[in-house]
Amino acid sequence: MAELSFLLVVFPMLAACSCFLMRHNTIYSLIVIISGGLLIGSAILLIPLVPFSFSPKSFLGINIHEILTAADFLLLFIILYFGVKYKNWLINSLAIFQIVLLGYLEFFLINGSETYPIIYCDNLSLIMVLIICVVGSIICVQALPYMKKHETHLKIGVSRQPHFFFVMILFLGAMNGVVLSNDMILFYFFFELTTVCSFLLIGHDKTERATKNAVRALWMNSLGGAAFITALVFIYTRLGTLDMQYIIHADSKSQLVILSMALLCFAAFTKSAQFPFQSWLLGAMIAPTPVSALLHSSTMVKVGVYLALRLAPAIEGLFLTQCVTIFGAFTFLFAAALAVGQSNGKKVLAYSTISNLGLIFACVGLNTPESIAAAIILIIFHAVSKALLFLCVGTIEQHIESRNIEDMRGLYTKMPLTALISVMGVITMIMPPFGLLLGKWMAMEAASSFLCGIVMIAMGSALTVMYWARWAGILMSDPFAGKFKLEKQPVLTWAALFSLCIGVGVLSLLSPWIYRWCIIPIMGSDYLASYSTDYGIFENAFGVFAVLPLSLVAVAGFIIAILAVKSATHSRITMPYLSGLQTEEPRVFKGPMNRLITAEAGNYYLSSIFGEDKLTPWINLGAVILLTLVIGGAL
Amino acid sequence: MLHFDCGSCNGCDIETLACLTPVYDIERFGVINVGNPMHADILLVTGTVNPRNKKVLVNLYDQMPNPKVVVAIGSCGLSGGIFKDAYNVLGGIDKVIPVDVYVPGCPAKPEAIIDGVVMALKKYEVIKKKHSDSVPSRMKWRKIAP
Amino acid sequence: MRETLLAIFIGLFATPLLGGLINGLDRIITARLQGRIGPPVWQPFYDVIKLLSKEKMVVNVWQAFCAYAYLSAAAISVVLFFLKSDLLLILFIQAVGAVFVVIGALSSTSPFSQVGAHRELLQILSYEPLLILVVAGIYLEIGSFKIDDIYAWGQPLIFKLPFLFIALGYALTIKLRKSPFDLSTSHHGHQEIVKGVLTDYSGPFLALIEIGHWYDIILILGLCSLFWATGWIGMIILVAITYFIEILIDNVTARMTWRWMIGYVWAMGLTLSIVNLIWINLA
Ligand code: SF4
Repeated sequence: MAELSFLLVVFPMLAACSCFLMRHNTIYSLIVIISGGLLIGSAILLIPLVPFSFSPKSFLGINIHEILTAADFLLLFIILYFGVKYKNWLINSLAIFQIVLLGYLEFFLINGSETYPIIYCDNLSLIMVLIICVVGSIICVQALPYMKKHETHLKIGVSRQPHFFFVMILFLGAMNGVVLSNDMILFYFFFELTTVCSFLLIGHDKTERATKNAVRALWMNSLGGAAFITALVFIYTRLGTLDMQYIIHADSKSQLVILSMALLCFAAFTKSAQFPFQSWLLGAMIAPTPVSALLHSSTMVKVGVYLALRLAPAIEGLFLTQCVTIFGAFTFLFAAALAVGQSNGKKVLAYSTISNLGLIFACVGLNTPESIAAAIILIIFHAVSKALLFLCVGTIEQHIESRNIEDMRGLYTKMPLTALISVMGVITMIMPPFGLLLGKWMAMEAASSFLCGIVMIAMGSALTVMYWARWAGILMSDPFAGKFKLEKQPVLTWAALFSLCIGVGVLSLLSPWIYRWCIIPIMGSDYLASYSTDYGIFENAFGVFAVLPLSLVAVAGFIIAILAVKSATHSRITMPYLSGLQTEEPRVFKGPMNRLITAEAGNYYLSSIFGEDKLTPWINLGAVILLTLVIGGAL
Repeated sequence: MLHFDCGSCNGCDIETLACLTPVYDIERFGVINVGNPMHADILLVTGTVNPRNKKVLVNLYDQMPNPKVVVAIGSCGLSGGIFKDAYNVLGGIDKVIPVDVYVPGCPAKPEAIIDGVVMALKKYEVIKKKHSDSVPSRMKWRKIAP
Repeated sequence: MRETLLAIFIGLFATPLLGGLINGLDRIITARLQGRIGPPVWQPFYDVIKLLSKEKMVVNVWQAFCAYAYLSAAAISVVLFFLKSDLLLILFIQAVGAVFVVIGALSSTSPFSQVGAHRELLQILSYEPLLILVVAGIYLEIGSFKIDDIYAWGQPLIFKLPFLFIALGYALTIKLRKSPFDLSTSHHGHQEIVKGVLTDYSGPFLALIEIGHWYDIILILGLCSLFWATGWIGMIILVAITYFIEILIDNVTARMTWRWMIGYVWAMGLTLSIVNLIWINLA
């Protein structure tokens, strides 16, 4: 156990450092690949061991607690350093605030006599570790060819890739640390570490905008950090311990504990970029695409929902839990609405992430066995599908040098395989029997008795269908005769895309078993298993979702449809209808005086309704009001 | 059924559209007026052909999936009618695409048009048989003509 | 087991027949309302058979994929309906079909087809929340999403969920492609954006989409029938009346713009549903 935890948490940090030091291309590529493999391997080896907990007493002869304290302060001073460097008073004051509170907590409150496990791993942690290690490693591996191209494109003289991979791998280690730690101080350390990592990654390109966005990400997440440390102080004064398991299951629901729960939820919202903190995640788009993929799918934003999931039993039955539901559903709806108004592909992905996280928060807030299961399923499948889509967009972007959806019209003729995989990614986002929809189904069934929630979720899910379907359609939008030439991509890119694509299919097929073996034990102590999963069919008293049979039927349908495509390639190919004026070119028709005119058709982005600049202020206002409700409701 | 106004004086068009009204109700025969050659079996053409609309006519005809029939309406559609000698008129529809049914008149009467369409439907059946028997013979013709 | 097979059989084969028949009746009634005689009842079947026998012609080969995907999604959702499965699941699968129609239309570059696709998306946007809320309302009333339990419920739901039934009516009008909501394609929009989403489909593929549409009709009428699930006669009368009103509305209204559609359907439909949901919540 100890060794594995070491491999998962500390080893990536060492690997990261060696990446930084060995500046040779082949060496750090090898390190990245090997450490990716090791991470995946140790995550898999972890499976039979859960649940376990332990606390290492010392590391290299030094008391672990002292190392931790020192590291905590070091990290905060690093943040302070960045604050000073970029002359941001907000970051400075937040960092100082955190330093003061941490000092107070460490030196005046904690007496060091507690004996509780520092590391705790149950099925929830296991699922998170698996997501982080597998998806994260795949993204890191894909980043190798990506960054090479990226730097050639930007004409950077001295390669900054060692620095890049240093942070990427460090990030994975930090994430593993977050999900494995049981000591809240340790949790806090890793929480801040992810903040710093994301700051470094967003600002990686060193352009003016990149720096600006990175600084914004830093202060917003520092806000979360400040809320977190405040909550810790409150909790310690009331409960006298920072043992997460104890805190969650503590019976005393005093005002102060509830308030600190609300603050922790607040910290979770900032991490998961919920409204009104969405702007840091949108700003993060400036970074190279693997960074976005990492932030959106397996790391960073998942910290927030993980924290909320951990807290779920603690807030059960409180007014707070309803607030979280409303807040989550609100984000789900409006982030989807904003996504509809976007033509920038990466922004659509970003809003969809925010919206999905909102749905997860809503599920956590509902706090029923079904909804918690829904939240976990959504986390798993969102990570895989979103990583897939981001990698696709990254690949497309490097090829066509644009991230605008309009420029992806008819991409199929240019890069058929990537386009098909992207369409596949979109399909896994919105269609049964894939996992994301399974999660949404559970969420809706769980939310149906919660009026306010179901209305927002119903509207949001219709909007979701709209922006995804539009995108998938556009990728295929070109008259096409059936023969295509495969595009060339580095092997690692293909490997990453295919493994994610196949992974999401296989995982969806296995979802009943994932549910039975991984998710039920998580809820075991608090909830009864609610769905039976015989024959791969989810069923409870009031709903059924036949995953396995539907998948089989879907596969059959897919094969028939593909055969139809094959036979259609032999049929007559005609030009699109242009009122009889078409020419040999698909989009060009003969206008007056025999001039050639190209027919243009743009998407409906409904920017008059769903425009970013129109909606955002109102949404932020609404979100602030709801946040006040979350915090105020706890008082 | 697709109705294409090639270059008519509108007389024939009005009579054609009259077929859709309650008085004549061509839908009795299951015929409806569509706006798109891809959905059509019968191409109903009124008026004369000139160099400009010739291509359009051919395009529309091409975009109809086989089997298909063409009905030419009015003296103009048949031969160019009173415009026959105009400098820009090429002549009747059959100068450009093969015509199956000719409906004479200036303008053609709705009854005559309906009669023509029903005849076209019968011809459609015949062509369908031929079509399913062998290669679309009419396609060959297209290659030689214009 | 025998019942399951029977349900699958009915769902797969009887439904399109029934759907086509309803379509034929629809055409006759519409014609009569307009003072015409109208086509024979079997006309829709003649049309589809004719289309199937025509030459295959495509703009983009993926149109074929989308046509088949739409047909299978529609068929699966109807089969699940007859298997008395989960309502929400059925809706999701039905949405898959709708999405494939959109993707198919977008795969052609013709502006007509593109505009049609976007209008179709807006239509989905309008009716999807209503359908989900209707299902949520049924759940709130009887405590289950399974059609089984709805049949087992003692009294007709329409008395408890009248407003939701009206909201379902909006969704029905959109789904049946009837005025004033027949924006993306319609049965008799002759020159109107030359049939929107279906612009570049022809021959057999058009036929597949038409058959898929028949499945869709039956599904959504089936959803209506659940509001009187206590007996066959009540069910048929309710559906017949609803359908007749749909035809009437179709004939007396004009086609509106999508702006109006979204505004109107969301404002009216959502208000009606929410009022009804609050009502059962309180009861
Ligand atoms: S035939 Fe007569 S009525 Fe018809 S288009 Fe020619 S001139 Fe006009």
